[in-house]
Amino acid sequence: MPGDSRRIAGPQDSRAPHWFGRQQETHQEAGGTRQDGRGDHDLRPVYLHTGVVSQATGSAYMEMGQTKVIAAVYGPREISRREEFTMKGRLCCELKFATFSCRQRRQHIQDNQERDGSLIVLQALEPAVCLDKFPKSQVDVYITVLQDDGSALAAAITCAALGLADAGVMMYDVVVGCSVRQCGEDQWLDPSVREEFRPEVESAGDHGMVTVGLLPSLNQVSALVLDGHLQQQTAVQAVKTCISGCQGIYPILKDCLVSSTRRNVPSLEQKSGQTSTDGQNGQT
Amino acid sequence: MAAPRVCVPGERLVSTADCESGRGTYVHHGYIYSCLAGYMHKRNLDGKELPIVEVIRQKEDAVPRIGSIVTGKVTSVSGRMCKCAITCVERTTLREPFRGLIRKEDVRATEKDRVEMYKCFRPGDIVLARVLSLGDANCYLLSTAENELGVVLALSEAGAQMVPVSWSDMQCPKTGSKEFRKVAKVQLQQE
Repeated sequence: MPGDSRRIAGPQDSRAPHWFGRQQETHQEAGGTRQDGRGDHDLRPVYLHTGVVSQATGSAYMEMGQTKVIAAVYGPREISRREEFTMKGRLCCELKFATFSCRQRRQHIQDNQERDGSLIVLQALEPAVCLDKFPKSQVDVYITVLQDDGSALAAAITCAALGLADAGVMMYDVVVGCSVRQCGEDQWLDPSVREEFRPEVESAGDHGMVTVGLLPSLNQVSALVLDGHLQQQTAVQAVKTCISGCQGIYPILKDCLVSSTRRNVPSLEQKSGQTSTDGQNGQT
Repeated sequence: MAAPRVCVPGERLVSTADCESGRGTYVHHGYIYSCLAGYMHKRNLDGKELPIVEVIRQKEDAVPRIGSIVTGKVTSVSGRMCKCAITCVERTTLREPFRGLIRKEDVRATEKDRVEMYKCFRPGDIVLARVLSLGDANCYLLSTAENELGVVLALSEAGAQMVPVSWSDMQCPKTGSKEFRKVAKVQLQQE
């Protein structure tokens, strides 16, 4: 068992009390509504906030229903000595589930799921960041899932992109993540954890989960993950649903960025009078 | 005037037919897009037909570029070179230092072959330098071969802040002893 000997390790298989109680609840699939009462293609309420980690260059916090994710961006900082010289910058992502984030206790050390998640987030963000703008340096993104109530990976992608924008890292576009759970005939956008970990059920056919990272204003997909078993047509349909979900989150992200910029970045008039008069004839 | 427009990364600003792309923007398929979350503003430059569109954000990330003036603290001196930790690029303070290196031949413009490193820098000195090149994987290559560049702040052996007396000497106000430095002629920067 890998473990950190300096920590007081909690019991390996501890479970929260409600694990035993509420587990018995069943899905209410009748009428196409989901357990929390929303439609198949409805998103959960989204809350976004920037500037939550004071030490970081930029940071962001995201809630999607009960899923809570925090991302901190550091840099551009110096690349470590062992790396080779590159004219391009480097992006490093680290995804971590907090020990208390899931129903089952997570360990302090990164496990395989977290390592995979880090790679996917990196893959989603890398095409969006102007890496040539900071040669020889790297930007570190640390994402912590505080509570996992489904679609944590999608939330991590969105949150990390918002953190990067808050840090003032040059980007071609922001990235928005969204997931779809396909369960037989049903296609659920932005699944909660109970929809995600559905034990294999009665109906045969397609079962899987699709996560998409989208550059919304360029309309390009930067990351695509497909778990499970899906027919080609279903998969295409699921990806389309994901993209429409991403487009639904994008205005919220944009609003959050605009308001946080207005709040935190002093505008040009305060800096000098000269530039504001220049700007006047350009503004419509 | 209405509040300046706030842009987010990836937002389409104007067509390239109307404007030229400036800082914080990029061109894609004939349109100028924003790279930053910040304020958009247009500038008319003399001799140019089209105004330049820029997106400005105060917290813009600064990394040393070729030709930029950096402020650093000397960390170690050897016979051939001097290492320093870059703490400022132009006017922005860095959150974390970058490693810089001043080679013996880049210390001053004249009598390059007679430079003695120990008579130019001491660990702890604050130096102004210009970035020569991005260097190797380890360090940025810096140069102090200009009158305005070199040591600006130094402590004497007695621990007092020294006063420059010539281009190669600094004097301790406490003990009156002179120490050798590559002294910078500090210029007042106009606001």
